[in-house]
Amino acid sequence: MVFTAENVSSARAFVSSANSGRATGECSQVAPCHRSGCPRCEPEAKDSGKTNTRLRLLMVEDNPADVELMLITLRKDGFEVFGDVAQSPEEFSSRIQAASYDLILADYNLPQWKGTEALEILCRENLDVPLIVVTGYLGEEKAVDYIKQGATDCVLKDHLARLPVSVRRALEEKQLRDQRRRSEEELAQKVAELARSNAELEQFAYVASHDLQEPLRMIATYTQLLAERYRDKLDEQANKYIAYSVDGAVRMQALIQDLLKFSRVGKAAIEPRTTDCRMIVEQALKNLQAAVEESGAVVKWHGLPTVMADLSQLTQVFQNLIANAIKFHGSEAPVIQIAAEKKDNEWVLTVSDNGIGIPAENWQDIFVIFRRLHTRTEYEGNGIGLSICKKIIERHGGKIWIEAQAQPGSCFKFSLPAEPMAQTTLAAHA
Amino acid sequence: MRTTEVLLVDDNPADTDLTTEVLARNGCPSHICAVTNGAEAIAFLRRQGKYVHAGVPDFVILDLSLPGKDGRAVLAEVKADPILRKIPIAIFSTSEARQDIMRSYELGANCYVSKPGNLRDFISAVTSIGEFWFGLARLPREEER
Repeated sequence: MVFTAENVSSARAFVSSANSGRATGECSQVAPCHRSGCPRCEPEAKDSGKTNTRLRLLMVEDNPADVELMLITLRKDGFEVFGDVAQSPEEFSSRIQAASYDLILADYNLPQWKGTEALEILCRENLDVPLIVVTGYLGEEKAVDYIKQGATDCVLKDHLARLPVSVRRALEEKQLRDQRRRSEEELAQKVAELARSNAELEQFAYVASHDLQEPLRMIATYTQLLAERYRDKLDEQANKYIAYSVDGAVRMQALIQDLLKFSRVGKAAIEPRTTDCRMIVEQALKNLQAAVEESGAVVKWHGLPTVMADLSQLTQVFQNLIANAIKFHGSEAPVIQIAAEKKDNEWVLTVSDNGIGIPAENWQDIFVIFRRLHTRTEYEGNGIGLSICKKIIERHGGKIWIEAQAQPGSCFKFSLPAEPMAQTTLAAHA
Repeated sequence: MRTTEVLLVDDNPADTDLTTEVLARNGCPSHICAVTNGAEAIAFLRRQGKYVHAGVPDFVILDLSLPGKDGRAVLAEVKADPILRKIPIAIFSTSEARQDIMRSYELGANCYVSKPGNLRDFISAVTSIGEFWFGLARLPREEER
């Protein structure tokens, strides 16, 4: 049965012709009748401020008078109501599948079936349509049960005046639910897209590195062979050109190796565990033993905390920072200070030195891969170390930056969360 | 020292030449046959088609990245063959990727050597392969004789 603004006055007739075969949900006459003084269509003066809300309703009700009463109540409140009435579970099922309703009003005790079976059908069909139980009598306990089962509200037929308020609230809640669901879906989609494009990028860097290695190895190897075999047959100039080609190829090989290292940092799983920074600094110094001894560097540290971090990756960070401090030393032997400070929920670690320092305008771009501030003859290296530090720290949920300090030299700082990171946070950074 | 039959599978003729040259120069008495792709390698080992009269190699040096059937597929097929599986296979590939190394050993490679990026190291790697496999190591074929 279909009711519209036009035919609702004879709701009883529609109830009695429930199986008249009219197309489900077909409502061509959705507009109010606009007859002057029509109690169903003309909103009362007190409601004139409200905007009309179109409402597609499915009613589970066997009493045409009740149907009419509910419709009148809603129309008086500014709703533009149309929809259908279902009187059996089968009819309810087929209607709910065929059309999308804004709201269901269900009596809970009909002769053929319990109207609240509608809740079970909705649940089974996985449909989110607000359902308000409208019934003649309902104990408080029963009402609570229905709400628990998923009903939005319960309204007594004696207190139909409450119906519009309840309907508006149900619609608002539904709207919020929809919004949240949409945002969640959008977010999930974005996360999936990001993960995919990240994986593609990693794969690209990885494949490119390996496939680029092969022709480079050919150039390096065979120009070297050329130089060796034809040493006596070529002049000085030719030997110089060969040396340039070999140097170029070897440098490119190193760059690709570094790119690969950088890409591996992004691919490797982080295994955070309780890690003593003192141990890590000691390990980093052990790895740098030759450079430390050669430069006569003095490394001092105090108050280093225990943090949640990946042991080998954090060692890499300290090692790169200390190595830089040694490499970019000033006229005096390097003095490197490592300290820590707890700020709110994170540890801020500092590695400062008395070296040549970094101009403030380069404090940002120095962390970009392959960014170098010096020529290859001044300082060797490809400009990979700090970009790896940045990637590692960010994957741990921290930040890395440079700060000004009173004395000459540079001062690197990085933060690490003091508390163990949740797996989800780690995954988001991965 | 008897002559070792070596099958070299590499799609890079320059590497094949250099490897052959280095093995010969270091006095490893070896007879080297070279093929340039995986399908040919399998045909050679199974003595099919134009390789019907080929000798069974004592040792295979196999590159991983080959056109068509790649080195991994060749390795898997040889190591799944009850007769051919005895032949030691050294993987000689540019790849230093952990997964390539792991996968090769999983498939039954007998050793994995990365192709070094410069001439000196390349020569030294090939020399070491020759000295170990044709000099020091005992190979299954001679035991059969």
